[in-house]
Amino acid sequence: MKIISLDPRVNRSSINKTEETVILEKLDQFQTYEVFAQTKRGTHHVHVGSVHAANENIAMLFAKEQYARRGECVNIWVVKTADVSATEYEDSDIFDTLDEKYHRNPESYKVMDRIKAYKEKGNQ
Amino acid sequence: MYGNAYIDPKKANNSLVNGEDPIKLAEFEARIASGQKVEPKDWMPAMYRKQLVRMIEQHAHSEIIGSLPEGTWITRAPGFRRKLALMAKVQDEVGHAQLLYNAAETLGKSREDMINDLISGKSKYSNVFNYPAVTWADSAVIAWLIDAGAIVNQLANSRGSYGPYCRALERICAEESFHLKYGHDNVVFLATGTPKQREMVQEALTRWWPPIMHFFGPSDKDSVHSETLMKWKVKMASNDDMRQQFLNMYVPKIWDLGLVLPDPNLVKNEETGKWDYTEPDWEEFKRVINGDGPCNAERLAVRRTAEENGRWVRKALNKSQNYVTPLS
Amino acid sequence: MELTERHVEGLKHLLYNMADDLLILGHRNSEWTGMGPILEEDIAFSSMAQDKIGQSLALYNILHEMGEQEPDVVAFTRNSTNFHCAKLVELPIGEYDFSLVRHFLYDYADAVKFDMLSKSIFEPLAQVCRKFRGELKYHTMHANIWIKDLTNGNEESKKRMQDSLNLAYPIAYSLFETNEYEAELKEAGIFAGESEQKKIWKKEVDAVILESGLTIPMVKNEEDHHGGRVGNHTEHLQPLLDEMTEVFQIDPTADW
Repeated sequence: MKIISLDPRVNRSSINKTEETVILEKLDQFQTYEVFAQTKRGTHHVHVGSVHAANENIAMLFAKEQYARRGECVNIWVVKTADVSATEYEDSDIFDTLDEKYHRNPESYKVMDRIKAYKEKGNQ
Repeated sequence: MYGNAYIDPKKANNSLVNGEDPIKLAEFEARIASGQKVEPKDWMPAMYRKQLVRMIEQHAHSEIIGSLPEGTWITRAPGFRRKLALMAKVQDEVGHAQLLYNAAETLGKSREDMINDLISGKSKYSNVFNYPAVTWADSAVIAWLIDAGAIVNQLANSRGSYGPYCRALERICAEESFHLKYGHDNVVFLATGTPKQREMVQEALTRWWPPIMHFFGPSDKDSVHSETLMKWKVKMASNDDMRQQFLNMYVPKIWDLGLVLPDPNLVKNEETGKWDYTEPDWEEFKRVINGDGPCNAERLAVRRTAEENGRWVRKALNKSQNYVTPLS
Repeated sequence: MELTERHVEGLKHLLYNMADDLLILGHRNSEWTGMGPILEEDIAFSSMAQDKIGQSLALYNILHEMGEQEPDVVAFTRNSTNFHCAKLVELPIGEYDFSLVRHFLYDYADAVKFDMLSKSIFEPLAQVCRKFRGELKYHTMHANIWIKDLTNGNEESKKRMQDSLNLAYPIAYSLFETNEYEAELKEAGIFAGESEQKKIWKKEVDAVILESGLTIPMVKNEEDHHGGRVGNHTEHLQPLLDEMTEVFQIDPTADW
């Protein structure tokens, strides 16, 4: 069946010459890289998403367009997803901080009363 | 641009939670109820994973296929402003597809499998793109009203439970705001322009109104699954509610331009506060979504051709790839 | 320095050449949007096409300030005999290897030209050229990486790169077609000229070609594909313009 499109680009393409079955093989779309973007000098690089790319040079080209074509950006890192190590969510209790560690809390240091008492003692 | 997972009621399972560990399920549901997000490596019911993959995947397919009707007019956009804007908008659709495939991938389905399912016809995408953009004005109507519908859907879903999908939607919603402005601006210029322009946009609107009314899908108030999917914050609003929201926001704006909609029963019911309308033809919707629409064959053929033509490029670069399931 | 009438004439020719090149190439490259070999590259190529058209608009705006008509009118109402783009840019997009190789040859030429013009005494043009430096840097970076990676991909991709280069390289000389104003513009410090540009371009692209592992095609006659600057074009330009202006021409006086 010949396809005639309203889109002139489609009509110029080889659309009617493509075989019926087109199947992408494994890894056809490459590995992924995680992208970290720095909006301004002085700020942290922040994770913004990932790209599929064959190598790091291409990953950088892609990252720039997909994640920084609008808005501010001065620098990008790309890291292969396979190279990222991550903790498990079921272990997120290791990040819990118990209330007993009040010695690390600046609010727990109160000396105004003590200073006042000392001064009053000195005035007697 | 848009995604509203089409779930064929006949193919649905009887229960979404058959065989799941009740303790894990309870924890999972409590997390969601408390507003916490589910992340890729969390335990999740099999049906949650399955429904989400299908939903996000369909959304991604809708974006890439959605780039085709408007793409029809990229080379013919009149004037620099429209040319640049349309190029940027269609590019964004491709970008959205990329973001959404990434999100779906975190659930364990590869991009290759998703693309294969699209081009083989196995996976669905938003039905509205199976219709032709006959004139320049059609591309304007699509850019305004279809994007508007997509935004209603996306805003609802952006409050959903799955972390990666929410993050993708946040980026997408930010870009959509320019799309909507562009679309509206375009329709306004045509509607307030020369008689020929006005005629073109009126005809386009008449042509696109039925697919637009189909956009949010049939009423799901009787759907067995909606309740569970809403509890799991996979589905965030009913089809009917979203359709009402859309009508409420956009019908007045359309009428404001003096344009006519081809539904004599379309009116806001003062008593109920809801819009009354002629019930769309859901048989046609079913026919088209199952392959029998004016553009289905072409849409898939274009994607097939693009993948086939690009195969040599991808093959040439494919050395020592180290693929793992994405994290977020 | 005061610009004489000759200088102004020469400048206008230069600006039309550049703006028309950018518009037509940007238009061609936009044909790939939604149909690229991989999603991320589709997005990147589309960005570069938009950049080109944005750059052409900036140049048409300078022309407008010099008394030419508005950019939309200038771009959307001329026929091919009044267009001044080089033949390289109007050719169909072909397959991805051709489009990439054309992008490589063209963007390196533009990078040289913009760099030369950023020192022009004609401030409006110098400013525009400085402004777009960043965009061009990305374009040449992109071209460089793709040419190298595909040449070093596999046998098929290397052959495709070489075949496309053999085809496009001689036609790329169409970019350097010069005219009677070249010497005067050079003397006035407006533009050091196409001949100078060509020398620098050749040195740079030949280096990339050899580094990649390709061979530099023979060019028997550098002027074989000239003519574009004076309105002599291939059979591809008029259909392109007909398509590009199809909607605009429904009513050129309307507001779109």
